[in-house]
Amino acid sequence: MNPFTSIWTFLSTTYHRLGSPREFYRISRYVTPVFGFLFLTLSALGAYFGLFVAPADYQQGDAFRILFVHVPVAWMSLFVYVVMAVAGAIGLIWRMKMAFVVTICSAPIGAAFTALALLTGSIWGKPIWGTYWVWDARLTSELILLFLYFGIMAVYYAFEERKTAEKAAALLSVVGVVIVPIIHYSVEWWSSLHQGVTVFAEGGPKMPPSMLLPLAFMAVGFMFFYGYALFLTMRNRVLINERKSKWVRALAMGESI
Amino acid sequence: MNTLTLYFRREWQLMFRNTSSLIQPLTFFIIIALLFPFSLPAENALLQRIGGGVIWVSAVLATLLSLESMFHSDYHDGTLEQMLIHPRSLPLAMLGKALAHWTATGLVLSLFSPVLCLTFNIPSDQIWVLFAGLLLGTPSLTLIGAIGAALTVTLRRGGVLIAIIILPLYIPILIFGAGMLTQATQGLDVTSQLYALAAILTLALTLSPFAIAGALRVTIN
Repeated sequence: MNPFTSIWTFLSTTYHRLGSPREFYRISRYVTPVFGFLFLTLSALGAYFGLFVAPADYQQGDAFRILFVHVPVAWMSLFVYVVMAVAGAIGLIWRMKMAFVVTICSAPIGAAFTALALLTGSIWGKPIWGTYWVWDARLTSELILLFLYFGIMAVYYAFEERKTAEKAAALLSVVGVVIVPIIHYSVEWWSSLHQGVTVFAEGGPKMPPSMLLPLAFMAVGFMFFYGYALFLTMRNRVLINERKSKWVRALAMGESI
Repeated sequence: MNTLTLYFRREWQLMFRNTSSLIQPLTFFIIIALLFPFSLPAENALLQRIGGGVIWVSAVLATLLSLESMFHSDYHDGTLEQMLIHPRSLPLAMLGKALAHWTATGLVLSLFSPVLCLTFNIPSDQIWVLFAGLLLGTPSLTLIGAIGAALTVTLRRGGVLIAIIILPLYIPILIFGAGMLTQATQGLDVTSQLYALAAILTLALTLSPFAIAGALRVTIN
């Protein structure tokens, strides 16, 4: 068989198997600890390089080191939103049960990343900008993003019937993904004090490798943290959603699946 | 008669037989705008500077208030379910409904806004800027808001939820609309903001009917 066909077959069977709550529960049991381990290792390395190896900034001194948390967390706040909306669209189009679970479980994690980005940003802002908060473009659009996450969670918990709640939350996340770029650019044109593009700037990063390395470790580490937290919450959600099915009952009786 | 005009006319007839739905949003709009002069120092210069923003915020709140009732009676007497199972295009029907709803709220508010501008001592050349902005911005407010109204129509206490999910989405319109007036006070050109509002309106006109129809299919079953 041609290698591309076999890769495709593997991917599509994995996709369909993950679409079944039971298969997801079985497979995620082995994947979740791997994500947790990778997160701990990478973020520990990132923290070590960031705190001890990277030199102090010539203008900001040691205060800049908070960006090793701030920047990855801010990236993740947007990344999680995109994952949530794509999963929502998959759920609405192909009626895939597990896609809705991804959307619902991503919302609180994304909201936490967003809140953390705002918090670390304002802690950094006090010594450097001299204020905790300014009505700047990046800050404002990040704050709006937090409220979008809250809105999606509020819609999900407002409905009594789970299937309606899942679809309503998925629809709102898809609507939001159309509007997030508009919000972003509207506030960008309105006013800006936040640092411009540094890492993905044209002509390579405007940062020395000693600072870029811990940032990369932290960024990938947080990505695994998202996977870890997502799979943990999804496992819980799957058990709650499928509580009436045979395999969950068997699990509750102490049998293995 | 095509679906769009049919639903537009039906909505108009319903609204004119119950005139309170026409008067309430306008009254609410005026009262909210007039709360600001009472709660701020009564200096003409200050009121003149913030007037445009105040009128925009009042228009947003008045639209939001009117949204809750948009699908309410249709849902309770079963009309909405008939619309869902009818072979006519649901997105087009919803577009007609939303546009009719806009003429009773956003259009009326925009037409009345010059009078409010006079109470805030806004100079006449800026009144035109605000009027044009409201005329372009309020249809988007109604169309985007209708998505929230459709999502929450079956809930008993949907009003607060509409506000939570819809207000963040209103921010770009508010920024361009109110920003236009700030530009005009400094004697700068406002065409870029007008274009941005028009672009948002184009997106809202083309995409939101599908989102409204999708939301109704999700919540009503």
